[in-house]
Amino acid sequence: MSEAVLEVRGLCKDYPKFQLRDVSFEVPEGSIMGFIGRNGAGKTTTLKSILNLVHASAGEVRYFGLELHRHEQEIKQRIGYAGGAVDYYKKKKIRDIVAVTRSFYGAWDDGAYRKYLAAFELDEDKTPAQLSEGMKIKLNLTLALSHGAGLLILDEPTSGLDPVSRDELLDIFTALRDRGVSVLFSTHITSDLDKCADHITYIRRGRILASGSMESYLASCRERGIGNNLEEIMLHFEKEDFHEKLA
Amino acid sequence: MRNLLEKELRLAVLPLTWFFLAAAFMTLLPGYPILMGGFFVCLGIFQSFQSAREANDILYTALLPVRKADAVAAKYLVVCFFELLAFLLMALFTALRMTVLAAAPAYQTNALMNANPVFLAFALLLFALFNTVFLGGFFRSAYYIGRPFVYFIVSSFLLVGAAESLHHIPALRFLHAPGGERMGLQWAALALAALLYALLTLCSEKRSERRFEQIDL
Repeated sequence: MSEAVLEVRGLCKDYPKFQLRDVSFEVPEGSIMGFIGRNGAGKTTTLKSILNLVHASAGEVRYFGLELHRHEQEIKQRIGYAGGAVDYYKKKKIRDIVAVTRSFYGAWDDGAYRKYLAAFELDEDKTPAQLSEGMKIKLNLTLALSHGAGLLILDEPTSGLDPVSRDELLDIFTALRDRGVSVLFSTHITSDLDKCADHITYIRRGRILASGSMESYLASCRERGIGNNLEEIMLHFEKEDFHEKLA
Repeated sequence: MRNLLEKELRLAVLPLTWFFLAAAFMTLLPGYPILMGGFFVCLGIFQSFQSAREANDILYTALLPVRKADAVAAKYLVVCFFELLAFLLMALFTALRMTVLAAAPAYQTNALMNANPVFLAFALLLFALFNTVFLGGFFRSAYYIGRPFVYFIVSSFLLVGAAESLHHIPALRFLHAPGGERMGLQWAALALAALLYALLTLCSEKRSERRFEQIDL
């Protein structure tokens, strides 16, 4: 396994009705990791915790070998985040949002920005409110890639996208990986991962069920007769959970 | 910090907040509770907070490579900028009422507060109240703005009520004087209010920094 761009160790978070327990995983450099789990399993809480938006009660998070709390500003220069349905300043022109955003990043590259703007067919005179869900994700990707992010963290980026836009986005992830950018994205749509992910982390009821290479995880599940693909594997575990509750 | 201030002014502040600065002109209204002008300035700032919340401004800021404490300080600095702009306008109109308009018949009888240094002192106290009650309350969650603003409305109306009527107590009649004797006391009141404004705002900002570090977004 190549060097990890993100290491999460023993992450815990307590809410009155939900607990994140001992969440640990690694995102290798230049890889696409799918972070899967059913709705409410703890995907968003985990992602927010590793971005210090939510305060974990225990655990350690390291990006590029740097501890998050001690190097938060430096780390945020080198990562990009986009929440699925979240858009910022939806009534402001993209041009104005970018003019402000670029001033925060020392490594901002205007050439790269223009290149992604053209590649994603984004119009700077539009506002986020005028963009489709897929274009909003592309805008967030453009911002992240223009400041040279080496790791993209995306919370359910494919939710709400039509099949063509979803496929297009997964192609973008693959192209980014080929350029050495790592992608961690959460989803409950397992078919997204079949197409592009090389690593997987599966979270269930706030605990990590599995984390590692997608190929070896699928092989081990096949051997144990759990399922032949991610959808069958997820259904196996989640239905088991459902039957336990009914019993 | 400069880029955070630019972010506030270009993305978070509504044009409406600038427009509400015009409420400082109320200082010139005869027979009107002129301190309400300060309240309307705060209402204009509140509109920007409401709009910024809908624009996910806090989440956007928290994801930027900046210290969280600086994000809080930038919000306070921008609010203080608008308050001090309004204060300057109010001071200008107060100076007009105390000098070239001093003999204007419209200002000769006034059951409410006259425009003088004490009025400016109360305006600063009103702004200090906004910074403590509303801004301090907002940073408890960095999301909920309704309750802190209601608390501000109630407390500011009590302050305006007191300011507009205290001079009816014989011993406090000097608060009403548009000039002449006892001006030393009025200037002292203004200096004290300026000190209180700075202290209360600073305390509120420091407390908000601590709260913002602890809350989950």
